[in-house]
Amino acid sequence: MLKTILKRVLQCIPTLFIVVTFTFILTRAIPGNPARTLLGPQASAEDIAAMEVRLGLDQPVWKQYIDYMGDVIQGDFGTSYMYNQPVVELIGQRIGPTLQITLTSLVIALIIGVAVGMFSALHQYSAFDYVFMVLALVGVSMPIFWLGMMLVNFFSVNLGLLPVSGRGDIALGLWDVISHMILPCLCLCTIPMATFARITRSSMLEVIRSDSIKALRARGISERNVIFKHALKNALPPIITVLGLQLASCFTGAILTENIFSWPGLGTMIVNGINNRDYMLIQGMVLFFAMIFVVINLIVDLAYMVINPRVSYEGGGA
Amino acid sequence: MKKILALTLACSLSLGLLAGCGGGGGTDDSAADPSAAQSASTGTTTQAESGTLTVSLASSPSKLDPIHYTGTYEGQIIGQVCDRLIEYNDDLDTYVPSLATSWEISEDGSTYVFQIRQGVHFQDGQYSQGREMTAEDVAWSLNRSAQYSDNARLSMLDNAEVTGEWEVTCTLKSPNAAFLTALTDAGNSIIAQEEVEGWGDDFGYHLTGTGAFIMEDFQLDEQAILVANEDYWLGVPNVKKLVFRFISDPTQTANALLAGEINLATQLSGEAINTVDQAGGDISLMKVEALQINYVRFNMQNGPTADPLVRQALIQAVDLDAVRAALYQYGEVEAACLPLPYSSWGYDESLESLALPYDLEAAKEKLAQSSYPDGFEVDIYVSNTQERTTLCTLLQAYWSQLGVTTNIHSNEWGTFSDMAASGNADIYAMSWTWYPDPYFFLNNLFSSSQTSSNGNGALYINDEVDAALQAAVETTDQEERAAYYSEVMRHAMEDYTGIYYAVPYNCYGINSRVQDFTPRADGTLRFIVSDGEQIVRNTSVA
Repeated sequence: MLKTILKRVLQCIPTLFIVVTFTFILTRAIPGNPARTLLGPQASAEDIAAMEVRLGLDQPVWKQYIDYMGDVIQGDFGTSYMYNQPVVELIGQRIGPTLQITLTSLVIALIIGVAVGMFSALHQYSAFDYVFMVLALVGVSMPIFWLGMMLVNFFSVNLGLLPVSGRGDIALGLWDVISHMILPCLCLCTIPMATFARITRSSMLEVIRSDSIKALRARGISERNVIFKHALKNALPPIITVLGLQLASCFTGAILTENIFSWPGLGTMIVNGINNRDYMLIQGMVLFFAMIFVVINLIVDLAYMVINPRVSYEGGGA
Repeated sequence: MKKILALTLACSLSLGLLAGCGGGGGTDDSAADPSAAQSASTGTTTQAESGTLTVSLASSPSKLDPIHYTGTYEGQIIGQVCDRLIEYNDDLDTYVPSLATSWEISEDGSTYVFQIRQGVHFQDGQYSQGREMTAEDVAWSLNRSAQYSDNARLSMLDNAEVTGEWEVTCTLKSPNAAFLTALTDAGNSIIAQEEVEGWGDDFGYHLTGTGAFIMEDFQLDEQAILVANEDYWLGVPNVKKLVFRFISDPTQTANALLAGEINLATQLSGEAINTVDQAGGDISLMKVEALQINYVRFNMQNGPTADPLVRQALIQAVDLDAVRAALYQYGEVEAACLPLPYSSWGYDESLESLALPYDLEAAKEKLAQSSYPDGFEVDIYVSNTQERTTLCTLLQAYWSQLGVTTNIHSNEWGTFSDMAASGNADIYAMSWTWYPDPYFFLNNLFSSSQTSSNGNGALYINDEVDAALQAAVETTDQEERAAYYSEVMRHAMEDYTGIYYAVPYNCYGINSRVQDFTPRADGTLRFIVSDGEQIVRNTSVA
């Protein structure tokens, strides 16, 4: 297991190197001058030239690249142009709020989605099954931005039950924090929940029709044990694959959700970074997201090995 | 066992994350005054604490050091925490003494002598414990801005020096009548040298000054909490706690106002204006004509629009009343004619007749006489807002009647502004906003020295205009200056430099509990205003 982890970590290095290089090229390729964007429309050509010198943008691109790579290797992602703070520090400040809503949403989505999927599979072609699956289809298709606005309009403006935006403050009590989390999490968990429900249903259907489950039933094992101890376990691999993908998509979904609810996380920051052509912030954030994706993939692969020891990534054999 | 372990891990993770809520790690006194903060931060409490004013800002400030600020939203916070030598009154037509009690201008207009107010104290900071502000602080702050301001907000200043115990003399590089206006900018605030040097690059996050409000907590991308400065030299502000919340989406801003989370919504636009206007009850809409002009500019040197007849044709082919009706459904603009907003003292009504009226036949005739009688293809560049994109679509339709094919390039601001400043755009649409002094509009839009910037990326070069612009800053007589600016505008209109189509309103949503708030044309928020000697307006929250 340790060898596998080490091997996978080493394999990640070229991936991350390519990500950094591509991001560097792309940020330079998109039109727009960071100095001009930063200073606003009223800046004169002299102001812009002075700012370019301050940001090191007057240097040749190859030199900027070499300097940046040198810094990245030492764990320094540079200093954000607009926030004037080290990118690593900024990511450290924002990762908490983002994890707060992404992980909560994912846990809610997983619990409800898997439960609904199992229920639908066990009651295939029932009214519940049809209703849940239609709702799941609606959930997958719902645009986050639209859903967010509708939720705010209903729960905050019309009913006055929940705050419109912001993150809340633990000093004001747990409810202040939870009330601020409800709408962003509802918004963020809809798509993963629907996906989990659909994948669980199809995976469970496949498993409960299999000969092994029939054999277990024939041996007189209780239905509860058959479903929860055997069928669910066998249905887990596709759910775990989707879990990894959904965790990644929750991070990207957070970009929109955070902006709707003025949630001070990574999503808000990357949008500000892109709008302001903050090269350092964009590069640092993309590299950070790439690292997250790589780690999630690694965890998913390891989870496979734990669930099903026959899976091995070392020799290609199973 | 595994389940217990997993549950424990999940619980500790959740608690860890929750413990991080509230961010900032600042000295928020909300723990001491939970009711006030509750009302400021959630919509679940319908009425905010008396004396607490919660204001929305459309963008999140990140640079609060006066020399580094670039966005108006940053200036709003600096403006509350720090003071400047002089201010504008609410009508933006008179300078009002602030940290300077009086000033004299030399005959040649290149030297300004300021008498500095005594008995003004800085707020407590890490490195200065509420000491008295001195003439040295004033000179140091102004010199710092003149040398290091990212946006060259005091570029006309050569040197500021202390010439008496309470006197500072400012010598300009050359006579420049816009100097006093520049001094009203938040970027030219007076700050304490030891605080700036002590904090270094982090000064903005620990901003202190002599202003009416003290920054208590600043949470990046979330909110800034300010409290009243009880020792403020002008008097104690009625607003005891001032919270700036950052909400980027106008619809969400309106929602927050309706839900009672904020009591003053700024920079409302589009549908949000209507939402607030129709809300009724305690909520009302306030608007004031902004110091802003929306326009379309033609490239004066390159491409088909270099031909004046083509420009004339393009202007006359557009029915601006219909365009405005389509673009602004909620009465958020006034029709414009000239390249200067109405609220600037340089506006000259007598020039309005120079704006060409809509006349399609005349437009066709002009095009037939031009070097492109059979039409042509042009590229128009805009930032990708709904308003600008729709404007382009309408222009495309109008100009197609002349046989002109218009290619629309709608990009986000970074890409657009680069193109607009490059001198390569055939046509571009944007807006310009700044101070009431016409210098800040006309000099930027029409001076040949600004051809590499967003202001005059259309490459308008006219020696007579340059001479008039120069003459206008060399005299301090406002009437004389207005005459020079009138001449500049006359040239700009007679040379068909562009289509100046709208002056927007600054739209605010306000809760009736907020009293004595006056919206200003330049968009600055001021909650305690003086005539130089005493308070004439002190905003309060019932």
